[in-house]
Amino acid sequence: MMPVERLLIEFLLTFLSRDELNAFLRSPQNTATLVGALIAVSGALLGAFLLLRGMALTSDAISHTVLLGIVVAFLLMVHGFRVEGDTSSPWLILGASLAGVGTVALTELLYRSGLVRQDAALGLAFPLLFAIAVILVSRFVDDAHLDEDAVLVGEIGLAWANTNSHCFQNCQSVTVTEDHPAAKMTRQCVNCRELGISPRDERAEFIEVCGNCGPYSPAQAWNAGLLDSEPALVFFPKSISVTLAMTLLTLAFVLLFYKELKLSTFDPALAKALGFRPGALNYALMALVSLVAVGAFDAVGSILVIAFFIIPPAAACLLTDRLALLLLLSPLIGAAGAVFGYDLARGLLFGFLPIADGIAFVNRLFGLDLVEEWDSSISASMVLMIFLFFLLAWVFSPRYGLISTALRRANSRRLFDDQVVLAHIHNHQFTAQAATELRVETLHLHFRWTQRKMGRVLARLRALNYIRIVSGGAILTERGEERVHRFRATMLEAHNMPASLA
Amino acid sequence: METRSDLALSIDDLTVAYHEKPAIWDIDLDVPEGALMAIVGPNGAGKSTLIKAVLNLIPRAAGTVTFYGAPYEQARSLVGYVPQRGSVDWDFPTSALDVVTMGLYGKLGWFRRPGHAERELALAALEQVGLVDFADRQISQLSGGQQQRAFLARALAQDAQIYFMDEPFAAVDAVTENAIVDILRELNQRGKTVLVVHHDLQTVAEYFDWVTLLNVEIIASGPTAENFTLENLQQTYGGRVSYLHGGQLLAASAP
Amino acid sequence: MNPRPALGREDRRIWLIIAAMAILGLLFIPFSQTLFGLRFTYTVRVVALGGAILGIISGALGCFAVLRQESLLGDALSHAALPGVAIAFLLAGRELSALLIGAGIASWLGLRFVSALLATTRIKRDAALGIVLASWFAFGIALLAYIQSIPDASQAGLDHFIFGQAAAIIESDVMLVSAVGVIALLVLLAFWKEFKLVTFDAEFAGANGFRVGLINTLLSTLIVVTIVLGLQLAGVILMVGMLIAPGIAARQWTHKLDQMVILAAVFGAFAGGLGAVISALDSDIPTGPMIIVVAFVLVLISLTLAPGRGLIWSRLRQRQNRREFAARNTLRDLYRYALAHGAADTPAPDSFIRGVGDRSAALGLRQLRSEGRVTLGAAGWQLSESGISLAQGDRRNQRLWDLYRRYAYELGLPAVAEERGRDIASLLPANAVARLEAKLEEGADS
Repeated sequence: MMPVERLLIEFLLTFLSRDELNAFLRSPQNTATLVGALIAVSGALLGAFLLLRGMALTSDAISHTVLLGIVVAFLLMVHGFRVEGDTSSPWLILGASLAGVGTVALTELLYRSGLVRQDAALGLAFPLLFAIAVILVSRFVDDAHLDEDAVLVGEIGLAWANTNSHCFQNCQSVTVTEDHPAAKMTRQCVNCRELGISPRDERAEFIEVCGNCGPYSPAQAWNAGLLDSEPALVFFPKSISVTLAMTLLTLAFVLLFYKELKLSTFDPALAKALGFRPGALNYALMALVSLVAVGAFDAVGSILVIAFFIIPPAAACLLTDRLALLLLLSPLIGAAGAVFGYDLARGLLFGFLPIADGIAFVNRLFGLDLVEEWDSSISASMVLMIFLFFLLAWVFSPRYGLISTALRRANSRRLFDDQVVLAHIHNHQFTAQAATELRVETLHLHFRWTQRKMGRVLARLRALNYIRIVSGGAILTERGEERVHRFRATMLEAHNMPASLA
Repeated sequence: METRSDLALSIDDLTVAYHEKPAIWDIDLDVPEGALMAIVGPNGAGKSTLIKAVLNLIPRAAGTVTFYGAPYEQARSLVGYVPQRGSVDWDFPTSALDVVTMGLYGKLGWFRRPGHAERELALAALEQVGLVDFADRQISQLSGGQQQRAFLARALAQDAQIYFMDEPFAAVDAVTENAIVDILRELNQRGKTVLVVHHDLQTVAEYFDWVTLLNVEIIASGPTAENFTLENLQQTYGGRVSYLHGGQLLAASAP
Repeated sequence: MNPRPALGREDRRIWLIIAAMAILGLLFIPFSQTLFGLRFTYTVRVVALGGAILGIISGALGCFAVLRQESLLGDALSHAALPGVAIAFLLAGRELSALLIGAGIASWLGLRFVSALLATTRIKRDAALGIVLASWFAFGIALLAYIQSIPDASQAGLDHFIFGQAAAIIESDVMLVSAVGVIALLVLLAFWKEFKLVTFDAEFAGANGFRVGLINTLLSTLIVVTIVLGLQLAGVILMVGMLIAPGIAARQWTHKLDQMVILAAVFGAFAGGLGAVISALDSDIPTGPMIIVVAFVLVLISLTLAPGRGLIWSRLRQRQNRREFAARNTLRDLYRYALAHGAADTPAPDSFIRGVGDRSAALGLRQLRSEGRVTLGAAGWQLSESGISLAQGDRRNQRLWDLYRRYAYELGLPAVAEERGRDIASLLPANAVARLEAKLEEGADS
C-alpha cells in the first residue's frame, strides 16, 4: 500500500503545497466526506447490479457475515500473530472478504438442501453469525477501534486521525539506543513477581531498562523531539487509501466486464450459452461486495453499509430505464448523500437549513424542552440524506414518480372509461336488447357506476364526436366506430402472437 | 335492468383492468343452471381473471355479476371455488383432512371452530374423491394429482350450487383426470352448475356440454355442439388452431 | 368411514418432546445450582421468567412469520423499531410502555412504507425491505447520537435496545410483557381458523368471504407487537432470530400447525430463558446474541435429528432406498438372464452381472446375498429358492401395475398413486386386485 500511496501524494503535491494538502486532510469534514463518497460510489456501482439481479439482500447477508470475518481476523492478529490489531490492514480486509464469500456460499448450500426456505435461511443464519461476532467483540476484544459502537456506526468522524505518514524532505530516521542522549532509562525489578515481593523489599534485584529505545520513523522522531529541523511530512488517512483502492477496483471491474455483467444480469441462460460463465461472474461480484463491506467497516460499521449498496440504485432506477445511466446516477446520488450527510450530522440540512430551528419549532409546538443543538452520527446522517434523495426521486421522478404516475393514471383511466363505454355501445347497438342496454338514463346501472360519472363520460364522448344520442339511446358515430376498431386491433395484438405461427 | 333468477350465473358488461389495460372487456355471459361449462382461450386471454373477478377477488372496473339473481355478497354460500394448485405452499404443516375442512370455515363464521360434524362432512368429501385413506397424510406427501383431488374435495365440502375450477386438469396423472371427470359429471347430474378453466382442446367436446371461448372478449358461448367450431376457435386463437387437423376434434364432427 | 386412531405415533412424539423440554427446563435450575454453583438471585429469576415468557409469545407468533415466508420482513421491522424508541424517549422519557408504543408505531410505519413502495414502484420486495431496514435504523442511530449529546444522565440504558440487555429487566417490565403477550396469544387463539386459512390459501379465503386484507393486517400487527415486546431483551438487531428460530426448529418435528405452534412456544421459552440467564450472569455478553446462539443450537439439533425430515434421517433413508433399488434391479437382471439361458436357477456369470450395472450392481449383489436370495458358485451368481420366489412375485406385481394403469378406469377401480415399488395388494382393496388378476389370467398384458 505504502509506495502507491506515496505516488498518489507526489501526484497531488504537483497541484498543492504540502501544507495545503496536510490542512485539507487534517480537516475531519474533508476526510469524512471523501471516505463516505468513495464508499457510496463503490457501493452504488455494485448495488446497481445486485438490485437488477434481485439480490439486494445479499448485501445484507454479506455485511453480516464479514463482521464475523473481521472479528476473527482481528483476534488472530492480536492473539495469534501478536501484532497490533488494525481493521484497515490489507491482510485483514482480504481475509475477512474471503470469509464473507465462503459463508455466503455455504448458506446457499444450506437452503438448496430444501429443509429451510431461502428467507428463513437468510433470516436465521446471518443474525447468528452476527450474534457470534458481537459476543466475541464484547467478550474478548478490548480495543477502542473494535467495540459494539464501531460495529454499529463506524468511526468516519475519526477517519482523519488514523494516518500513514510519508516523509518527503529532510527525512531522518532515528534509532534510539541505550547510549543515545534521549534514552530514558528506568529501573525494573526482575524477581519481584517471581518471589511475590514488593520492589522495596531488600531481596529485590534490579536492572536498567531503556523505556523508549527502538527505531523511529521521521514523523515519530519529530514528534518525540529527536530532530532539530522539521521533516517535510504528509499525513495520509488510511481510510482514504483503503476506500480509494476499492473504488478503483470496483470501477475497473464494472468497466472491464460491463458487457458480461449486463448480459448475465438480464439473461443468464443466454450468457451461459455464449460461454460467459455467469456463475464465475456472480462470485466475482459477491467477492467485490464483501471487499467493499469490509473496507467500509471502519468508517460506517456493518449495518449502515447496506444503505450504500441498496438505496442509491433504488433511487436511480426510479429515474431511468437505461443501465448506463443507472450506473452513472447511482454513484452520484450516493456521493451527494455523503457530502450533505456530513452537514446534516453537524446540524445543517442541505448545508444551509439549521436543524436547531426545526427542533425549536417542535419545542414550541409540543411545549417540549429539547436541546436545540443537533450533533449526531455522521454515518447515520449520510444514510438519511441518501434516503431523502430516494424519497425525492420517488415523489418527483418524471417517469416513475408518485406525482407523474398519478397524473398519467388519471389520464389513462379517463381514456379507459371512454373505451369501455364505446365498446359497450358497439357490442349492443344493433342487437335486440339495444333499447334496454343503451338507454342513456340507465346506462350507468350496467357498469355499476354513479350517474354522475357516466354523465361525465358521455358528455366527453359527445364532445369528441364519438357518439350521438338518438331518441334517448346512445349510438356510435363513424368516428366512434373507427376508434373502437383501432383500439380493439391494438388490444388483441397485445394478447396474441402473430397468426403466422400457425 | 332485469336480473333473471333462473340463471345460475349472469355476467353483465363486466370489464376488468390491470393498470388500465383491459384483461377482460365488456363481457356478457349467461350460464343456465345445470351447465357443465369449459372456459377456453389462449394464454393471457383472461380466463382466470374472469373467475377471480366474478368471485370478487380482484376489483372490477365496471359491470355486474349475479348468482341466481343475487349479488355475490348474498349468494356466497352457493359458490364453490377450486383455485390453481400452484397458488399455495404445499409444504404448509397440515393434513389432507384439514385442507378439506377449510372448505367449511366460511359457513362457520368468526370465532367458531370446526367440530365433529365438520369432520364427518370433510371425510365424506375425501371419500368422494377417493382420498379417504390419505386423510391424515401431510399434504406435501401427496402426489400432484392427489393434491388436486384434495382441493376438489374441499370445494365439494362447501356443498355449493355453482362451482368455479381454475385449471383442475393442469399437470395431473390420467387416474386423477378420470376421477375429476367423474366428479364433474356427478355434480352435473345432481343439478349443480360447474365452470372449468380448461386448456386441453382435445377433450372439451368429450367432457363438457357447454363452452365459452374467451379472448379478452367473449368470442362464443353456448352448447358445445354449436359453438365449439373451427371458425370460432380460429377467431379465439388467431389461426393457431389449424394444426389441430381441421375439424377432427370439433363437436360438429363428433358422432 | 374409518375413525382416526386416537393418538398417532407422530402425535405421541411431539408430546414427548414437549414434556422432555419442560422437564429439562425445570431441572436446569437445581442442576446449574449444584453443578456450576449458579445463584438464582431475585434478579436472575426475574430475567429468566421474562426471557421464557417472551420466548413463548415470539415462538408461537413467529411460526406464522416463518410459514408466510416473512422472516426478512421480521428482520426489517425489528430494525425499524429503533427510531420509535428514541422519539418516545424524547417525548415521554424513560417509561417502558411509552418506549414500546413508540417502537410499535415506527415499526408499523416501516411496514406501511414497504407496502407503499411495492404498490407504486417497480422496486422489488427485498430491496424495499433493505431500504426500510437501513434508513429507519440510521434514523434511530442519529436520534440516539443526538440524545447522547444532551448533557443529562437520564438517557443511560437506551442503547440497550440495540443488542438487548437482560440485566436491566425488572419485575414491572415482566408484568407488562406478560399482560400484552397474553392478549396477543388470546387474539391468536380467537382468530386461529382465519389465520390458518389466510396463511395457507388467501385466494380461497377471499372467495369464501373472509376479509383477507383485514386478517393479514391483524396478523402483521400481532407480529409487530411481538417484535416490540422482545426489544428490551433481544434488541432490534437480533430480535428476528428469537422470532423465527423456534418456528423453524419446531417445523422439523411435526406436520400439524397446532403442534408446531405449541412446540415453537416451548423452544422459544427454552431459548429465551436460558439465553437471558447466561447473559445476566456475565454482563460482558449481550442478551440478544446469546439468545440467538441458544435458539440456533435448537435449530441445528432439529435439522439433524428430527425424524422424517432431519439430515441424518434422510441420509439413512436415501442409503436404504438406494440399496433396495439396487437389489431389486439386480434381482430382475439375474432372473431375466436365468430364464433366457435355461431355468430360473441357472447361474449368471459374475462378469455379466457386473458388466450390466456398475457400482449399483455390486451394492445390489451384496444386499441380495446378505438376505440369502443369491449364492455365488463357480459358474456365477445363482438365485436361491427364496430369490426365485421374490423375483416371480416382483414380476407379477409389475404386470398388475401395468394392467392397473391400462384398465383402472375401465374397471372402475379406486384411484391410488402408482407406487410401483410397493405391493399392489397393499394399496388396492382385495376385490380390485382380484379383478386385475383375472385380467392377468386372460393374458391381457401381453
